[in-house]
Amino acid sequence: MIEKGFWGGWAAVGFAVLFNVPARALISVYLLGFLGVFTKFLLLGFEINVVLPSFIGASLIGILSIRAAHAKHAPPLIFAIPAVIPLVPGIFAYKTMLGIIALTGKVTENFNQTLAETVNNGAKASFIIMSLAVGVGIPNLITRKNSAKDMVIHPPKMIFKLKRRKTKRKNRREARVRLRRIRKI
Amino acid sequence: MKILDVTLWRFSNQTLFMVKSSPTQEEISELGSVLLEIGSLLMSSGATTSRIRLTIDRIAASFGLSADMLVTHRALTLSLSDSHHNQLYNNLKRTSPHGVNFKLVSGISRMSWRIAENKWSIEDIKTDLSRLKGLPHYPRWIVLTFVSLAGASFCRLAGGDYIEMAVAFMATFIGLFTRQEALKKGFNPYLAVFFGAANASLISGFFTLFDFGINTEHAFATSVLFLIPGIPLINTFSDLFDGNILNGILRWIHGLIIAFMIALGLLVAIYLYQIN
Repeated sequence: MIEKGFWGGWAAVGFAVLFNVPARALISVYLLGFLGVFTKFLLLGFEINVVLPSFIGASLIGILSIRAAHAKHAPPLIFAIPAVIPLVPGIFAYKTMLGIIALTGKVTENFNQTLAETVNNGAKASFIIMSLAVGVGIPNLITRKNSAKDMVIHPPKMIFKLKRRKTKRKNRREARVRLRRIRKI
Repeated sequence: MKILDVTLWRFSNQTLFMVKSSPTQEEISELGSVLLEIGSLLMSSGATTSRIRLTIDRIAASFGLSADMLVTHRALTLSLSDSHHNQLYNNLKRTSPHGVNFKLVSGISRMSWRIAENKWSIEDIKTDLSRLKGLPHYPRWIVLTFVSLAGASFCRLAGGDYIEMAVAFMATFIGLFTRQEALKKGFNPYLAVFFGAANASLISGFFTLFDFGINTEHAFATSVLFLIPGIPLINTFSDLFDGNILNGILRWIHGLIIAFMIALGLLVAIYLYQIN
């Protein structure tokens, strides 16, 4: 699985270069691609239908891309789009197409079998693509915010409790100052 | 005491600031044309509709104006108005030819934040925009190598072995090269995709003609994956979910035509080599 993840990362970086993603973002793209593929194959090991692992992998990429966007000061989409491309169901789409070509031939005794397989592959391919698109958009959908700058992804609370309390205090202080300034005007 | 014309809230970091005097008509039309150019650049380099709206709104707001726009695939309409709802600027601009460029998207996004924070003048925006437009792409050989590596990785992910990966690498390299050359010669972009797909699959399928004792099915299936319309298809859903349904459908059909062209290219190889 780690080996699959390794190649998944390279696939992501290849597409990032094709899309002209800035060089400072390439490492993040590699890590996201690695994680997406790793998660997908990890969950596939539990005999789950292929759609759900793709969706979970894509949502993971979507959520972590916000983090990457904060760190590198770039829109999250430029991390997320190259990173989900290794999850695209190329083989299913290919098999669907082969099946459709076979369906244009003569009706023989295993026509029903071909039909069933083609519909199965086609449904899988289209549902995976849909789940990838929704998975990438998940941070926007659940936080109901348009700009990634306003989104906060909380680190585990136990470790960062102190730091967060300090920032809270600082925020309160800033709010007071702001209020005073408004009253003056 | 000087009378302040426009005061407005800036919500991004909740501080109050004032625009000293409202911009003159000349400045406004200059700003309008700059905003239209930014919008068209974003549209052609693969940004979603909501991102275009947000960026334009953000920049216009930092000049004390509100922007209303109609965003489509091929043209943008912008009208700027001030806080008294006076129409100040109205224009239409065609988008530049489409070519994905995330460096530009990221650069413009950073610029829009800097404009709001540092109160840039229109001249500053213009110079930064021309700098962003001049930023180089990756060198061609790097693009070719990395995308071919991605093709080989796809082959590995689909379950191919190392020989198949080498075949996929070669096929992707030549396919992408063909597509770039076709675009350079000024062919229709969809046709360029077809040429790329046909060439890549002809090369990866070549080994099925002779019995080398290797099975290159995985390489054949994955050698065309470098052409997949990932950006149109993912942007489709973000546009649809934002309610920009017309743009979403438009992008979807654009992606569908590309996918169809890939299938057509594969079909050529399948019929020539009689793969089933």
